[in-house]
Amino acid sequence: MALEEVYKGENVDEVVELLDKYGKDAKIIAGGTDIVIDLRNNRIDPKVLIDISSIEELKGIKDKGEYIEIGAGVSFTQVVENPLFERNLYGLNKACHMVGSPQIRNKGTLGGNIANGSPAADSIPPLICLNSTLILKSVRGRREISIEDYYKDENEKIRPDELLVSIGFKKPKENQVLSFAKLGLRKALAISRLSIAILVELDEEGKIINIEVASGSLGKYPMRELELEQFLLGKKLEDSTVDEGVLVLQRAMEKRLAGRSTFPYKRVAVDRMFREALEEAMKYLDEVRL
Amino acid sequence: MKEIQLNVNGKDYSLNIDENMRLIDLLRDKLGLLGTKEGCGEGECGACTVIMDGETVTSCLVMAFQAHGSEILTIEGLESNGKIHPIQQAFIDVGAVQCGFCTPGMIMSAKALLDKNPNPTREEIREGISGNLCRCTGYNKIVDGVELAINYIEEGK
Repeated sequence: MALEEVYKGENVDEVVELLDKYGKDAKIIAGGTDIVIDLRNNRIDPKVLIDISSIEELKGIKDKGEYIEIGAGVSFTQVVENPLFERNLYGLNKACHMVGSPQIRNKGTLGGNIANGSPAADSIPPLICLNSTLILKSVRGRREISIEDYYKDENEKIRPDELLVSIGFKKPKENQVLSFAKLGLRKALAISRLSIAILVELDEEGKIINIEVASGSLGKYPMRELELEQFLLGKKLEDSTVDEGVLVLQRAMEKRLAGRSTFPYKRVAVDRMFREALEEAMKYLDEVRL
Repeated sequence: MKEIQLNVNGKDYSLNIDENMRLIDLLRDKLGLLGTKEGCGEGECGACTVIMDGETVTSCLVMAFQAHGSEILTIEGLESNGKIHPIQQAFIDVGAVQCGFCTPGMIMSAKALLDKNPNPTREEIREGISGNLCRCTGYNKIVDGVELAINYIEEGK
């Protein structure tokens, strides 16, 4: 690495002005847990590094009544320790708790997990289920993009002069629940091999009236599993429905992953992960109904 | 070169550093604090763990300039009045140290855990040190060491 200039940003306005000045020559650093490795392996070679890890306005978790807004600089530890992410938002807590190790969770940020675009980023599938919005700032103003589009649409990227400042989503209703399951190779420090997040709501008869399923590492990027959602909508969660749902999911992932060496393994593993996420969701919903 | 100010082990420093320097390089090469070890250089092994503003970090993944204005605690900062810290004493007493390379990082993780949760279960201790690899002990003695340290701290030893 050959950095010419480093800045310790004090506020968002200062950082967006630096991004406007340096554009592609600059790189943002927050927790550094990915970027310091990339710098040292020469996978990236910016001239300028702008640190945002001390900017207080990026480190807040705001409860805005119907909405929650999480600052891009919020660490995984902050999410895990925040009582907002208990009960029906527990899936996000669990996903953040399964990131790396205590040291990585203390430094690593939600914003970094998104801005670095890793296909295995643990926190993303739950945020996709919540239909999260990414809030970006630049000297030109403020812009919002949906997190789902950010991953699937080539034209919906964070531009070189933009800073990801926060992630917002609508709180699920009390009778909706977000759950998460991840398969890693070991307990700590495991890069996610595959993950599933589910947001689900049942009617009084137990039929699914709302469902969002998002996967991590089952394709080039984290994504909604629309075919599975369509299949499950309106059905009761009987064993045969779940078994068939697994087949729908396996067929959908086969289209994306067929021919890859990891496919046969992931095809089997996804079965267990989907059931685990579903069981966790049902456990919560049963408690709410009692 | 960039000038930064930081506090390490209770002492204020004003240093000129290279832009490319990491926190671990600053600690070892600039300040001669060789207790902090570099293992993998990728945040996987935890040998370089220090406490930064109250939380453990792997100092190989922190750029030195990011530490401007921060308070850093390394293994050297644990002694007080010439006496080693109860966690260090407990590690010695139970035989939690073999080759010793992981020990400083392990003790910093244990300290951060006990600062937050003075009475952890064995399972919580295991999670607390899950970011620190040890290839000698098999971890049981280390968990024993942290458990003994809880007693030592309570007794004010």
